[in-house]
Amino acid sequence: MSDKPNDFIDQYQAFVRAGLETWSRQFDPASQTAAAPSADIMGRMFGGLSGYGDWMRSMAAGEPGAAPFAMGGVPPFGGSGAAGPSPYGPPGAFPPGATPFGYGPPPGAAPFGYGPPPGAEMPQPGTEQFDEWARVARETLSMPAFGLTREQQEEQQALFRAWIDYAEHYARFQTLLQGVNDRAGAALREQPAPTDAESMRSVYDRWVNLAEENYGEAALSDEFREVYASLVNAQMRLKVLQQKQVERVTKQAGMPTRTEVDSLGERLHAMRRELRQMHGLVAEVEALRAEVAALRGATAPIAAEAAPTGKRAAKTATKGRTR
Amino acid sequence: MNGNPFSFDPEAARAEVEAFRRKLEAGMETLKHMGPIELGTTPREAVYTEDKLTLWHFKGSKKPTAKTPLLICYALVNTPWMVDLQEDRSMVRNLLAQGEDVYLIDWGYPDGADRWLTLEDYIDGYLDRCIDVIRQRHAVASLNLLGICQGGVFSLCYATLHPEKVRNLVTMVTPVDFHTPDNMLSHWARNIDIDLFVDTYGNVPADVMNFAYLTLKPVRLNQQKYVGLVDILDNPKEVENFLRMEKWIFDSPDQAGEAFREFARDFFQKNQLIKGEAHIGGKVIDLKKITHPVLNIYAEQDHLVPPAASTPMASVIGSKDYTALAFKGGHIGIYVSGRAQAQVPPAIHEWLAKR
Repeated sequence: MSDKPNDFIDQYQAFVRAGLETWSRQFDPASQTAAAPSADIMGRMFGGLSGYGDWMRSMAAGEPGAAPFAMGGVPPFGGSGAAGPSPYGPPGAFPPGATPFGYGPPPGAAPFGYGPPPGAEMPQPGTEQFDEWARVARETLSMPAFGLTREQQEEQQALFRAWIDYAEHYARFQTLLQGVNDRAGAALREQPAPTDAESMRSVYDRWVNLAEENYGEAALSDEFREVYASLVNAQMRLKVLQQKQVERVTKQAGMPTRTEVDSLGERLHAMRRELRQMHGLVAEVEALRAEVAALRGATAPIAAEAAPTGKRAAKTATKGRTR
Repeated sequence: MNGNPFSFDPEAARAEVEAFRRKLEAGMETLKHMGPIELGTTPREAVYTEDKLTLWHFKGSKKPTAKTPLLICYALVNTPWMVDLQEDRSMVRNLLAQGEDVYLIDWGYPDGADRWLTLEDYIDGYLDRCIDVIRQRHAVASLNLLGICQGGVFSLCYATLHPEKVRNLVTMVTPVDFHTPDNMLSHWARNIDIDLFVDTYGNVPADVMNFAYLTLKPVRLNQQKYVGLVDILDNPKEVENFLRMEKWIFDSPDQAGEAFREFARDFFQKNQLIKGEAHIGGKVIDLKKITHPVLNIYAEQDHLVPPAASTPMASVIGSKDYTALAFKGGHIGIYVSGRAQAQVPPAIHEWLAKR
């Protein structure tokens, strides 16, 4: 056991090196385009069809256990795009990368496209080996950092711990989905065979109904809700740490960070609200002024009515004097 | 376990696979020749714009007979063109044909500048100003408000805040109880740390929202649908319809961060609307203040807003003139299906005409 932390430190250093390279690639527009999600109809269609096609082939080959339960889609913003399976995923169980909100590395891929450290044997999440590996990794990642770059080291340690946490939640989620798959497959096998020969398409449609039925039941369970939310929350914790590192690089490059832009936006909105409120007050004051003017206008004729009487009186008096 | 649940003729199965492959190959020709897809076909004029928002006024082939204008308030998720998808599938067009004078709020595509927009900004700001513009244009004190899905929730909130500006209220596939046992979306949202979620994303990307919707029925929506597409690949018109719907589904706006935070937390997680605990800009949303005539239209097979989420409206609003209309269909079918075209707009018009 004594050399495990050392092994891990080597892996960790390699991981950091690979990470830095990945960072530099983040600023390469060409690599961004390559990783960008593709939502075109052809891609989606082939995604759906590849699952169905493989399912048909497996059925024709006499493998009734085959499950076309592929989500067929990619994680929308290619969280697993670089290191994961091809975007429109293989058939079978829910493909790796099919996480809630589609973000996050698949098992075996470290955060931010780092990939496993060169030469490192990264065990699959959800296995005992991974648990042991994660335990050692967590211990090592909790060691204090020193020196000029201690803050960066701590950030990276936190990022890697968040990734381990995420990978564990991911494995739990995949286990749940696999259970759905298995139950749907079992339900299909338990159905009595139709007396007449049926088309593969009708078997497929039967399968889809059962798969959705089983998925619907599972998705409404308390366990699913808990696992799903834990995974999403773990994804967000990981993403926050990634953003923090991006911000550090952005600052070094002399560019405004998202936090700064957000802060400006927040102040601007607060000012807009204040301004609108003041406009409202101005409108109210204007309305009141108009009301006052109207009231004055209304009193003016009364005064005017009173005034001629006075004038008449004065006139009369003048007349009287003339006389 | 049954020994063999399948009844295949191997030769027929092979032929089926081959036929499928041929159909797909031939269908590629159809796909190659499809032109660009456009939504929103009814002639319209922008009568008010603010930030990303546009208020549209539709023009029918005949003059409106209704004296009170009708404003459609759509949800923030997805674009509002579901109500005017194509010429023969357009709720707007059919409402115009009935004699209604129709306006529509297009919220636009929020970007980073809209990150801090709150529900108050949307409901007591944008929506209120649109309503004032229409009132002024028509010299009327109040108008008919038709809210759809989340836009229906906005309309309910608005009617409690400014009851004098609403004459009749129509809600379509609108939830009031977000915690019914069959509401998968709210079930999933319950344990998510919404603050962390919004603080992380800022504006919530449309792709994230779409992914969540697709995973409500993952096999049907990600796979079976595209398998079914092969069946219609030899029919360009049908393919065009399919692609139009596809565009509408995936061409969606991001969600302004703060408004999303409030909606997800207060409505989805805390279910405050039905409890009378929701606030917009510090003002309590008391649904009992809705004493207007209300027509609530819900879809019986709605997997996004199950009927049970919508029908409790009857007991929580203050109106004595409440009508519920159940439509045999789903959340989208209620706008685009052939039956919807024939049933929904005439029902709305008839109901409004009596009030």
